[in-house]
Amino acid sequence: MKRTLYLVLPLAAALALAGPWAFLTCARQFPPADKIGTVRQGAVEDAVALALGVRRLAADLWFIRLMQYYGTPELLEGEGEEEALERGENGAGKYPDFLPVARHILALDPYFTNAGLYAAGSLAFNMARPEEAVSLLNGALIYRPKEWKYVALLAAIGYSKAKNPAKVSELITPLIMEPDCPVMIRQLAAFLNKRMGNYSAAYRIYKTIIETTKDRFYIDNARKEMAKLEKMKGFQY
Amino acid sequence: MKYLNTAWSIARHSLRENYKNRFFGLFVVFAGVLIYASLLAGVMAVDEEARVITDLGLALMELITLVYALLAAAAAITNEIKTKTIYLVFSRPVPRAAYLAGKAAGLYAAFALMLGVMALIHLSLLYFRGFVLPPFYLTAVLFIWCKLIIITSAALFVSLFATSTVSTVAITGILWTLGHFTSEAKFLIIKSSGAAALVLKAVAYFIPNFQLFNARDLGATAPPAAPPGFLAGYLLLWLVVPYLFSLLLFRKKEF
Repeated sequence: MKRTLYLVLPLAAALALAGPWAFLTCARQFPPADKIGTVRQGAVEDAVALALGVRRLAADLWFIRLMQYYGTPELLEGEGEEEALERGENGAGKYPDFLPVARHILALDPYFTNAGLYAAGSLAFNMARPEEAVSLLNGALIYRPKEWKYVALLAAIGYSKAKNPAKVSELITPLIMEPDCPVMIRQLAAFLNKRMGNYSAAYRIYKTIIETTKDRFYIDNARKEMAKLEKMKGFQY
Repeated sequence: MKYLNTAWSIARHSLRENYKNRFFGLFVVFAGVLIYASLLAGVMAVDEEARVITDLGLALMELITLVYALLAAAAAITNEIKTKTIYLVFSRPVPRAAYLAGKAAGLYAAFALMLGVMALIHLSLLYFRGFVLPPFYLTAVLFIWCKLIIITSAALFVSLFATSTVSTVAITGILWTLGHFTSEAKFLIIKSSGAAALVLKAVAYFIPNFQLFNARDLGATAPPAAPPGFLAGYLLLWLVVPYLFSLLLFRKKEF
């Protein structure tokens, strides 16, 4: 009994010191709880996610919700679904919850780079809300200061505001080379190349979209655009 | 040496007991079904399918093994006391320290086996869907096991003074959630003052910090919470200290 006590005491003391040491010195990997803004009815879900240590999974689920929300056409008064679909064909729309949900995702998992790129790209280039995109990316850069993809997209948004599509295209080219680049950014690159007359580059990007994404909308659009390019006089791939 | 041999025999017996447990089989089947369900969720994530399947699968593996771990650890010794099997064990020259160490080691081995089977099912699904092994996967599974070792050590200790299996499961379940809240506790401590801050500090300092081992949540890009040497030491302390406290309590029991 005494021998066990002699062992217990110093080890318990070591454990008692290790706890505070870990608490005070270990790297803080996630934003504090107050940064996780409540989005609609998400508070309980977030609390459960934090309590069980499943922030990453919670961020995934919110990202699915964001895509579903953004993929649902916004109906204006007296408008049919087809008209709404046509109006919002390029992702245009108001989507007032888009930024809060995107911020929520990055507060839960600030290392979810693709969510940050997807959200910022959609805000800046599809919904014409570059200021919101810039603020989202600046927030994301706090936890990932060395993320070159964010920096490249920030610069591209800057040039897009300055109405310089050539520079935007140049800046996002390294992004689209990444195998896990969000399809929305690839779509933007293809569109910009087409607008600048770089048809073969645009064609190549549309082809990559078909090969890499599972999103029906982008695949159909890429096929349509490729068919248009193929019909152009003198087009060679 | 004799001590180690006895502990080894008890550990083997404990592992076999867990392996033969009907619950064990059910949990593995359940995990298989749920991981398959994660494929459906993955389809909804379109281009983030691999990430969602990985995250959902790892989270389910952890939660399912946790439920089993809490129930198994809470009942490991108390059931033997209730059924009086323990009298048979101690009618032989079995040191109590070896018995306790063997029981714990058997449980840790059972969880490793359970996690291994579920990881194989999960990885097979990822492979058949054409996805590569995520770079942090093996670390994540290893760290899930480390978390389970810590909570099991605590559960074995609690089971020796708790009044029932349910109360052991409840206490260690609360410990599990608090252990994941330690980084949020920092924020709460800053916001609170007086006695509340002291209580929060005590809770944050002296409960196991599971967030240190939450590699599953950190993925491949987040910085590690602490250096590997510290993590190893912390795990060892959380393995040995509850064991020694359990031994103190266990020695007081009369069989």
